Amino acid sequence: MKEIFSISGIDIFQREFNQIMIRGNEHNQLNQIVNKEVSLNLPDKNLQIINNDNILIARHSFDQWNLIYFNDQNYRDVLKLVSNLNSNNQVCASDYSYGQVYFDISGEKKNYYLNKLTHFDLRLKKFPVNTMAQTLIARIDCSIYHLKEKYIITCNKSFEDYFTQRLADSINL
Amino acid sequence: MTALNNNKNSRVTDSNKVSFIFDGKKYFGFDGDTIASALLRNNIKIIGRSFKYHRPRGIYTCGIEEPNALVQILSEKDEPNTRATVKKIYSGIKILSQNRWPSLKNDFGYINNLLSPIFSAGFYYKTFMGPKGFWKNIYEPLIRRSAGLGKPPKEFRSKSIHHHHNVDIVIVGAGLNGLLAASKFIDTDYDVLILEQDNILGGSLNSSQKIKTIDNLDTHVWTKKTEDLLKKSKNIKILKNTLATSYNQINHIIALEDNSVGKPLASHKPELILHKIRTKHTILSNGHIERLISFRNNDLPGIMLAGSFEKYIFRYGVIPEAEPIIFTNNSSTFSLLKSLVDLGCKPKAYIDVRDESSIEKKTKTILKTNKIPFYFSSEIEGCDGNKKLETISIRNKEKQIEKISGTMLCISGGINPDVHLFTQSKGLIKWDEKYLTFKPETAFQNTITIGSANGSFNFKRIIEEINEKLSLFNINELKIDLEIDCPEDLNIMELWETNNEKKSFWSKSFIDIQNDVTTKDLHQAVSEGFDRIEHLKRFTTNSMGTDQGKISSINSLGIVSKILKKNISEVGTTIYRPPYAPLSFSAIAGRSTYEFYDPTRKTSIHSWHVKNRAIFEDVGQWKRPWYFKKNDKETMYEAVQRESKELRNAAGILDGSTLGKIEIKGKDALEFVNLIYTNAFTKMKPMTARYALMLGEDGMIKDDGIVCKINDQHFIVTTTTGGAAKVLSDMEEYAQTEWPHLNVYLNSITEQFSTFNISGPKSRAIMRKVFSDVDFSNDKFPFMSFKKVNYLDTEVRILRASFTGELGYEVYVTPKYGLELWEKFFRYGENLGLIPYGTETMHLLRAEKGYIVVGQDTDGTVTPLDLNLNWMIGKNKKDFIGKRSLSRSDTSRKGRKQLVGILAVDKSKIIEEGQHVVKSSSIPSKIKFPVKYLGHITSSYHSPTLNHYIAMAMVEGGNDLIGKKLYVTQNKSSENISVEIVKPVFLDPENKRLLS
Repeated sequence: MKEIFSISGIDIFQREFNQIMIRGNEHNQLNQIVNKEVSLNLPDKNLQIINNDNILIARHSFDQWNLIYFNDQNYRDVLKLVSNLNSNNQVCASDYSYGQVYFDISGEKKNYYLNKLTHFDLRLKKFPVNTMAQTLIARIDCSIYHLKEKYIITCNKSFEDYFTQRLADSINL
Repeated sequence: MTALNNNKNSRVTDSNKVSFIFDGKKYFGFDGDTIASALLRNNIKIIGRSFKYHRPRGIYTCGIEEPNALVQILSEKDEPNTRATVKKIYSGIKILSQNRWPSLKNDFGYINNLLSPIFSAGFYYKTFMGPKGFWKNIYEPLIRRSAGLGKPPKEFRSKSIHHHHNVDIVIVGAGLNGLLAASKFIDTDYDVLILEQDNILGGSLNSSQKIKTIDNLDTHVWTKKTEDLLKKSKNIKILKNTLATSYNQINHIIALEDNSVGKPLASHKPELILHKIRTKHTILSNGHIERLISFRNNDLPGIMLAGSFEKYIFRYGVIPEAEPIIFTNNSSTFSLLKSLVDLGCKPKAYIDVRDESSIEKKTKTILKTNKIPFYFSSEIEGCDGNKKLETISIRNKEKQIEKISGTMLCISGGINPDVHLFTQSKGLIKWDEKYLTFKPETAFQNTITIGSANGSFNFKRIIEEINEKLSLFNINELKIDLEIDCPEDLNIMELWETNNEKKSFWSKSFIDIQNDVTTKDLHQAVSEGFDRIEHLKRFTTNSMGTDQGKISSINSLGIVSKILKKNISEVGTTIYRPPYAPLSFSAIAGRSTYEFYDPTRKTSIHSWHVKNRAIFEDVGQWKRPWYFKKNDKETMYEAVQRESKELRNAAGILDGSTLGKIEIKGKDALEFVNLIYTNAFTKMKPMTARYALMLGEDGMIKDDGIVCKINDQHFIVTTTTGGAAKVLSDMEEYAQTEWPHLNVYLNSITEQFSTFNISGPKSRAIMRKVFSDVDFSNDKFPFMSFKKVNYLDTEVRILRASFTGELGYEVYVTPKYGLELWEKFFRYGENLGLIPYGTETMHLLRAEKGYIVVGQDTDGTVTPLDLNLNWMIGKNKKDFIGKRSLSRSDTSRKGRKQLVGILAVDKSKIIEEGQHVVKSSSIPSKIKFPVKYLGHITSSYHSPTLNHYIAMAMVEGGNDLIGKKLYVTQNKSSENISVEIVKPVFLDPENKRLLS
């Protein structure tokens, strides 16, 4: 965990998570596979999140989910899960672990701060806890997950330097 | 007479003295003063020179509508065209007047005024017609040099930022109406954002005494109390110093916050904040703008709008003149008259164009009681004075001219609701015959207009109007008492222009003071046929200044309607376009400048490239090593020649991580891939790969890449770097809309793999060292096959493929180990001559081999047949995207441009990319007939291996021209280069190197 910025009302940390992108149409079948592996059900509503202390599963669209491990996970285990999921020929699972970067943003001013970088409506009534969205933040395609009292933001790793600099720049200005 | 301070009841007091510099001289104002109020306090009336005629100009208004008082702020990076009526002073601010040389008092440019009789409307259009060539070389440079008011800053690095808001309600303007409306939303569920351009709330409550008390409280006390309540309410946010500039579609509002009002620019804070607001409803309570009256020399310093004069008294505590003359056609000036008298000042005269019976009794009583000379049924014929107002000529009710002396004239030609934002939102406005102005009629979006912005000038109806218009929100009714001290009705009489008695070339009756447009120009424009208001505007430049004619555009409509003998509503109105007030480019750009101009993407090896002297090339947003400099002196040409030679002799490694990668999986993945690409994949063995082409539906090449088949249900494909996102989105679209019956899923895995391309005769030896467990022999690892290999706690995919024509491999590894593996290659490969190479070398090497680059050798009009890639088309396939188009008469005809190789007969000649392939040996110096060109050079390089230039070209009927001689044009010579058309494979046509 790397601190990007921590001042009154806003804390930003870069985290190292593992992630799997899952695509498939057979919800029940897929749910059984995933549930067997991680003991969590796939959310059935678009943009909904289901999570426990270790794992988050979000539904991006009608046939797309992603699974994020919050805690240190043996990489071989992650790849094994990808392989297990892919053993079903109606599922496409891809390892997204190190191709993405993860930012943990918390603090009472997090909305004010993030709205310097995104037009997205972060108000609780429009973006409730346990929902996610894909939107532009600092002009970069990001996923934002609303967990209790914090956001997890992910974007492609290639944007890491630019995105981190924009985060710090927005705090400074 | 001199200016006086009003310490009795103003919002700026003399408690904090502030020094400032104007035109090099030090003056003092007070904390809270604008530049204009501070200058008036110091009896400075000339602020600048006019745009065209360089006439001396003073302060005309007290706000954003100011046409005249524009200054340059030297202490703020020379910021030009700053409104003196808005910009607050601070200690040490340095201000310069504009558009004058050598000084404000003695301006050489005033010669334009002397020559003004020839500078009538359309002067430029009519004058600068010839002789030929003069426009470009003489007129335009001259006009450009003399045009403009302030001088733009030469060096300025902005720190403006953007801030986004999503709210339920935006209230524009926190004057009396805005505050009343906002107070209804206190502690409700509505998220409310209030935008106020001033640094204090209250609007007209601060600038006049029209409202005496609100709920029995002094207006300032009530404002403060209301502001406190609004601030305490968690659902309401107030942005001061914030001007709403644009009202776009779907209730999207842009507002500009000045973050440095009354203080110097901070080096570590943004000077401007551009607020981008999405709202459900907008309440426009942005008030009104007073308008002028045109008469002879109505631009002289000392003439000011009456409402603005009153605002200086109460908002800024300066009475610009104790004995001004008032000229009006409506009852709004009662307030100024009464205020002056209450403050112990006595206007020198009160001139009203209305007849005595139309003037309200209260006004007449004050005039009579205070023995103020009163001219009813009268008008001002004109004014005179040397650089400032000295004499006023009044045409009295007997139509006689009376002259009185005076240094300040306050005029009021009526009031316009500020409908700029309303019309920007596409709301419709309608002419109101009673108030002689356009008023909001029908909203196009969720827009509510209240108060004077709605054309409601009667204070008595305010509360009722707000309750009625906000009833849709189901919130509490307002019950507030207002004590009003002004006439209920505006009672306006039409007057746009007075008759001019004095016939002089240099006396002018202005309609647009900023752009020096006179009423005579309007007459002339109409007489020349520009009778449409939009045409007239452009012919005369009326209302086209930075003030957008805020105080005069309705007047010009009035005058034109009189000339045309039509009603104003028939003449029409111009549409107010955003922004409402000038917006600096730095505010629009926000942080998207310099290092943040465009998001940049870097590979996991980027830091290594930087350390090893890589020069980067932007490919899309990616930073790709273009070439690696061996030392500071090495040029790009030398580096590319070196890299190419060393790779062909030993081995080179390229960071190919930026290539697009897509995972395709599903029961019907094979069918999907067969449909997407031209090639046939059905008989392709698992764990093999194929170079593949993707066409558009028009049969033209769209992208290329390598398709790796894991099995019939699972493929991994690569795309070009620039095409990755488009290819994925096209594939997704086809999967979801054209072939929804196919069970297939796609994931972008571009970022999930670092990719290295290792090529050269020594590449196998290096691979063996790095992956010692893998058999890289030709038998076990043939060309276009791939393997998965365990590496640490992950798997690496190795593909035998090449884009250089040499023996080569592509290695795909998780970015977690990207840098580590890259460095490992160098640890094991350095002794074998491994070098890093960049994209330019890659391009050279592939050109030697005749491989194409999509986007360089193709341009969206090239089919696979044009490139002799017929072998890549699965002829037995039932269908693929673009198949039908390949048999169209145009795509299958002979004589299409085809890819060929080009070699200069004199091999030392340089063939330039983009040059034409022609039949003739030279281009005539004077071209009388079009030169037939047969094609163009798509790629050209000096081959270090062959030691001469090689080029590729798309040439008409190219395949039939092999062995023929043609010519290629040159950039700097009319002599063409004699070339031979050859096959586009210059090196190793037998593929010995590739398959070694």
